[in-house]
Amino acid sequence: MNATSDSAHRPSVLHIFKIYYPDLFGGTLTVIRDICASLKETFTSAALVCSQAGKRCDTVGEVEVERVRSFGNVLSLPAAPSYPWRLWRRIPKHDLLALHAPFPLADLVFAFGFGRSRPLVVHWHADIVTHAGLRRFIEPLMRRTLRRAKAIIVSDRVLVDETPLLREFGDKCHVVPFGINTIAYDYPNIAPNHVNDRGRLVLACGRLVPYKGFDVLIRAAAGRQFEVWIIGEGSERPRLEQLVRDLGLGDRVRLIGSVKDCERIKLMCLADVFVMPSVTNAETFGLVQLEAMAAGRPVVNTALDTAVPRVARHGMEAITVPPGDAEKLGEAIDTLVNDPERRRRMGLAARMRAQTRYSAAAFKKGMETVYRDALTASCKEPSTAAAPQTTGWLDSVRIAAALAWSDMRHRYVRSLLGPFWMSLQMAIVVAVLGSVIGQMSNTDMLTRLPMLAVSMTAWTFLNGVVLDATTALQNSASLIRDRALPPVIFLLQCTFRQALFALHNACVPLVLWLALSRHDLSHTLAALPGLLLFVACTFALSLVLGATATRYRDLKPIIESTMMLAFLASPVIWSSDIINHRSTVMRLNPLTHLFAVWREPLAGASIDPGSIVYVLITLALLILASALTLVHLRKAAFWI
Amino acid sequence: MVSISLHNVCLDYPLYGAYDFSLKRRLLGHLIREPGETRIIRAIDNFTIEAEAGARIGLAGPNGSGKSTLLRLIAGVYPLSSGRVTVRGNVVPLLGLNAGVNLDFVAEDNIALLLRISGRKPIRSVIDDIWAFTELEPRMQRLPLRMFSSGMLMRVLFATATAFPADILLLDEWLSVVDEHFAEKAERRLQNLVSQAAIVIIASHDQQLLRRTCSSIITLDHGRIASTIAVEPPATLDLREKRA
Repeated sequence: MNATSDSAHRPSVLHIFKIYYPDLFGGTLTVIRDICASLKETFTSAALVCSQAGKRCDTVGEVEVERVRSFGNVLSLPAAPSYPWRLWRRIPKHDLLALHAPFPLADLVFAFGFGRSRPLVVHWHADIVTHAGLRRFIEPLMRRTLRRAKAIIVSDRVLVDETPLLREFGDKCHVVPFGINTIAYDYPNIAPNHVNDRGRLVLACGRLVPYKGFDVLIRAAAGRQFEVWIIGEGSERPRLEQLVRDLGLGDRVRLIGSVKDCERIKLMCLADVFVMPSVTNAETFGLVQLEAMAAGRPVVNTALDTAVPRVARHGMEAITVPPGDAEKLGEAIDTLVNDPERRRRMGLAARMRAQTRYSAAAFKKGMETVYRDALTASCKEPSTAAAPQTTGWLDSVRIAAALAWSDMRHRYVRSLLGPFWMSLQMAIVVAVLGSVIGQMSNTDMLTRLPMLAVSMTAWTFLNGVVLDATTALQNSASLIRDRALPPVIFLLQCTFRQALFALHNACVPLVLWLALSRHDLSHTLAALPGLLLFVACTFALSLVLGATATRYRDLKPIIESTMMLAFLASPVIWSSDIINHRSTVMRLNPLTHLFAVWREPLAGASIDPGSIVYVLITLALLILASALTLVHLRKAAFWI
Repeated sequence: MVSISLHNVCLDYPLYGAYDFSLKRRLLGHLIREPGETRIIRAIDNFTIEAEAGARIGLAGPNGSGKSTLLRLIAGVYPLSSGRVTVRGNVVPLLGLNAGVNLDFVAEDNIALLLRISGRKPIRSVIDDIWAFTELEPRMQRLPLRMFSSGMLMRVLFATATAFPADILLLDEWLSVVDEHFAEKAERRLQNLVSQAAIVIIASHDQQLLRRTCSSIITLDHGRIASTIAVEPPATLDLREKRA
């Protein structure tokens, strides 16, 4: 009872990582488990991870784990397409988010601005080393995540100095070295200073993955006397087994596989030398070497640019050798194997360092401070910091609408008819064109008139939006520069303004329709989705052309003449059946299809599926181009 | 918590000449392997500043030293080239008064539009308050701004721009444009606005104004901080004001 009321006000932390027990064992997971266990009095913990088994929810230890179905691993990442969605759904249920980086799936969520409502702490476990080619794509995401993080936790100062991305956020980084409870390593029969005179057992521990460098260790064992036991499981196993066979080391090198924690501790205490042969900077700390140190074992590690050679220091608790150098590694192990006294001395020093410098209490205190500060900092921050961000889009649309409305009212100033002058003009154009085309095609023009008027209205809209957009940014220079309004507002304003004018113009086709055709509303409704597509394409086109025409002023006349050409080459005033054959130019012309998607249903015909596909592809391309434009639009203030 | 923090901020301002605006020229330049060099000046150079709530910062310096550019950078108009900007709070940039004004509209509609642009709902009472401040006749509300004298126009625009308090206020040399009779009242309102805002940054050539209003004055030169002076506490300011 007490526990439930207690958990009610304990802040809840959501740990975000790719995997959790029992699907995998490893250093990062140990850290997450240790955090959850040591902070259980002050925080409740939950984890959102991926799993191929697809089990939904269960509890591991004290941690409530939700698993998202993944379909295997792609480039060391779980292929769990629903992860970002599930993460987004879960965020509001927790008080604090702890992202264990690198994990690009979660970066996707944070980089796009979701989950701003909760403070985020990033545990930086490692940089992306194994798939360095991906860095270029993932780094911008990670930067955005780090930018919104309240704190970044690293295990050692050197990571901040050596990682360019972290250096950018140096003031947010908190160094909290991992801690270990050395009491667990007081194995009853074997004191920490126990030294086996035979001294042949070399132990290594870790997932069997390439960066751990176990192949180097195996090659180092060739031609020497010591025995190597490797604890751990992983994808490299067949390769390592093959290597052992090739070198004929079957009797001295054993891949033990996964063992229970207590077994591992026992093995650590039994071993004579502990080796960490990791070959890349993906190994940032080496929690297992800390465990071996707690067990009082001397360590052989590698000179990486990470905390590895700083946790167990060369000459004091360890012998540090260049990474990937089997010869030097073998030599170092032999030195320790042949010198029991040195092993004992280094083992004691190692245990001492684990006890004092890497105590579990200090780790707990450090974590608690960072988590608490992140929570209180976000409480102090007024919600205004988040509010303008979320309402920003809506505000932009509102301002654009207000500006467009005022533009339209401007037409009424000193003029009774206002924009209806344009409608009048439109009516004249439709009447003249109608009679001319009627002469040309010998068909009953009267029934075609409403369609001609609608097409002309739509064309006027599209033409107006695009042409307005080319000058919109320059005309609003003062609002952009002096009032800091986002430039996209003024491109949106063009669409809104022309839409208002189009509504005025629409009275011409409306009158014709009422007068000349059967009144069937269902056709009108069927045309609406197509019309929406038309408007969306128009806006996206105006966004792209508006921005580029502002950057490159010589584009404006080109756009103007192209629009004229497009008007003539598209079935606006004539329809395809007047011509009676569909030429290639017409089929390739996107405007043909852009008009077809709403005009065909309006006329009661069915749309050609090809047209829909064509329009959707056009829209997709335009949206892509608009997204690019929006990125560059930040520089618009320089252009105007 | 309202705060502004600029950390080693640089802004490279591209100076586009007539040719730089030409796409044809640019494409041709690629073909004939004559890359068009866009001239770039460093408008803000390694600028670092921290401002917490209560800061009153004056920016001084000769023309072209980067005062306005810095204000625009904080307002988010220009993307910075390097460094970091963190702004917490609602920024109201009042850098130019005539932005968004339509002279053909009547004063009332202009006020409503300007309020909408700054994200406020134009309510009748708000517009009446603004009009009361301008001390102009009520019937003039229904006249197009085109008929206003420049002084009257300034009154309307000033009253509208300063109608609402802001967290962070960015002001750029615009008290000088108000006519003399109105100046005193305008400055009182400005002081009032400044006292309500958490952070105020004013760019001005008027050293007296800066000393009266600001707690520290940063002198800029070629985008760099030439000097930072802390102004004495307001006790002396009052005396100065009385003397003036």
